[in-house]
Amino acid sequence: MSERLRIALTKGRLQDQSVELFEAMGLDCSPVRNPGRRLIHALPNYPLDAVLAKAPDVITYVEHGVCDLGVVGKDTILEKGGAFYEVLDLGFGRCRFALAVKRGSDFYGTYKTRRVASKYPGVTRAFFEGKGMDVDIIKIEGSVELAPILDLADGIVDIVETGATLKENGLEPIEDVAQVSARLIVNTASMKLYKNEITDFLSRVERELGGHT
Amino acid sequence: MNIHINTPEGTRDRLFSECLERRQVQSALVELFRRRGYTEVITPEVEFYDLFVQSGNPIPQEAMLKIIDRSGRIMVMRPDCTAPIARVAATKLKHLALPQRLYYGQTVFRSGQAHQGGSSEIAQCGVEMIGAVGDKADLEMVAMAVDALRCCGLKQFHIELGHAGFYRALAGRMDMPQEELERLRAAIEGKNFALLNDLLEPYRGEEACAALRRLPYLFGGVEVLDEAQALAGPCHSLDHLRRLYGELSAAGYGDCVGFDLGLVHQLDYYTGLVFRGYAEGAGAPVLSGGRYDNLMEQFGRRAEATGFAVDVDAVGACLVVDTPALETVIHYGPGLLAQALAVVDGSPAGSCELSPCRTLDSTMNLAREKGARRVLLLDGGEERWLTV
Repeated sequence: MSERLRIALTKGRLQDQSVELFEAMGLDCSPVRNPGRRLIHALPNYPLDAVLAKAPDVITYVEHGVCDLGVVGKDTILEKGGAFYEVLDLGFGRCRFALAVKRGSDFYGTYKTRRVASKYPGVTRAFFEGKGMDVDIIKIEGSVELAPILDLADGIVDIVETGATLKENGLEPIEDVAQVSARLIVNTASMKLYKNEITDFLSRVERELGGHT
Repeated sequence: MNIHINTPEGTRDRLFSECLERRQVQSALVELFRRRGYTEVITPEVEFYDLFVQSGNPIPQEAMLKIIDRSGRIMVMRPDCTAPIARVAATKLKHLALPQRLYYGQTVFRSGQAHQGGSSEIAQCGVEMIGAVGDKADLEMVAMAVDALRCCGLKQFHIELGHAGFYRALAGRMDMPQEELERLRAAIEGKNFALLNDLLEPYRGEEACAALRRLPYLFGGVEVLDEAQALAGPCHSLDHLRRLYGELSAAGYGDCVGFDLGLVHQLDYYTGLVFRGYAEGAGAPVLSGGRYDNLMEQFGRRAEATGFAVDVDAVGACLVVDTPALETVIHYGPGLLAQALAVVDGSPAGSCELSPCRTLDSTMNLAREKGARRVLLLDGGEERWLTV
């Protein structure tokens, strides 16, 4: 008997790109495109049910095994961590974490402890720990660019796509912290219990991704 | 004054069916362990922090619940049962003949991140076999792991075998700096194919590279051993797993046993066979174990050792345990206690109880409130069933 798998998709852009990928694989994703009031969307021509969730919740659902698979950005994985298999780089949702400072300022050229603002304190801490450098980290929930402008922080660690927002605000990226893209993650027990179903799905995804590179 | 009426994050009150589940799993396991010649040890809930650092089992410092004692020494709530038992076996059991077969049913404490839904208190039930090495010892352990999950009443489960030596042999052939090898190991453990490929790209000329690249995929039935051999060449650890599988199949355990050569967790700790148990309905392994031949030496006695632990509540949550419903309330008159108790004792547990009420009316109300279906009236010579 073939088990129906359940996948959690990160709402928003990653959801749209996941749906495009699945449709290119021949999966009928109309229930996800027209969700109505339903919360679980059963795909009609493949044994897969999709749920939509915020990025950190995708990890939570997969870690607890209530979803077998998930599509989530590497940014969230780096920040939140967790125990799951990170099996595929889906290639879309590409951007990077960068350290940005006020244009022309010298971030490293002082003995004073630097202060860094970020929405991602975990990523920031890991980055500076790797350098053996002590920094004060301030968690900011909204527009992080504001922190150096208001002189709250000496720099920020944030997601950079084009760098246009930084530039407009007189900031410049000076160092890459990590590359980000969408990842397919799998619950550790599901991988073992539904090996055939999951490897079938993974090889379909891989075939589709391979076709474009 | 503020009265705290909540329990701390990560702890919980277990009620009724949750207790039944835990007790049912524990008693099934204990019965099996005792039957197989294992004897119980109970170690303190609180131990010195240093014990767990010394053991080489990489439990992160922040995951241990710490207490400072009166003299200022750091103690922890036991985060693992194996190190304390190795300590006991290396010291107090020093003069007993080996092998020693020991079992335990104890809670371990690990503080996780807040609001992740994890529990800080994990009820474990497990075994350690100290001072036995070789195929037969490993065989006994794996067979018991299968029997352990079966006797708990799980229907869909299996045990996956791996071998610390297989990854070590491959990694040993790579000319790679130590730090990078650790990242490689983590990528294999997390089945992070993308990172693994990136890490191996500069080394693609090396002969072990192809096997390492495939390692996360090498799980499933016995055929993965053949694939591993084709990639890595002859290897002691693969031969070892094949011999175990042959014997396990002959003993009827073959259907419940699979392989995962990508089981490369805690490699400083495990020295040979490693295994994990998965059950349908549980999002994480419910059983975990392996061989750790260097642990005892840390406590001053050289002896090989192997064992496993079952996550009792994780197994319990996969079971369907019936909590009996209250059927009957007994209203008894003066001098009839013995007769009333005889009825209670003769009924299935939880289905019948005595009424403490003075009047029959109050008893009828009580029965209605508690959802009982009938009242047994014992009064004078009378014995009457009343429907609620």
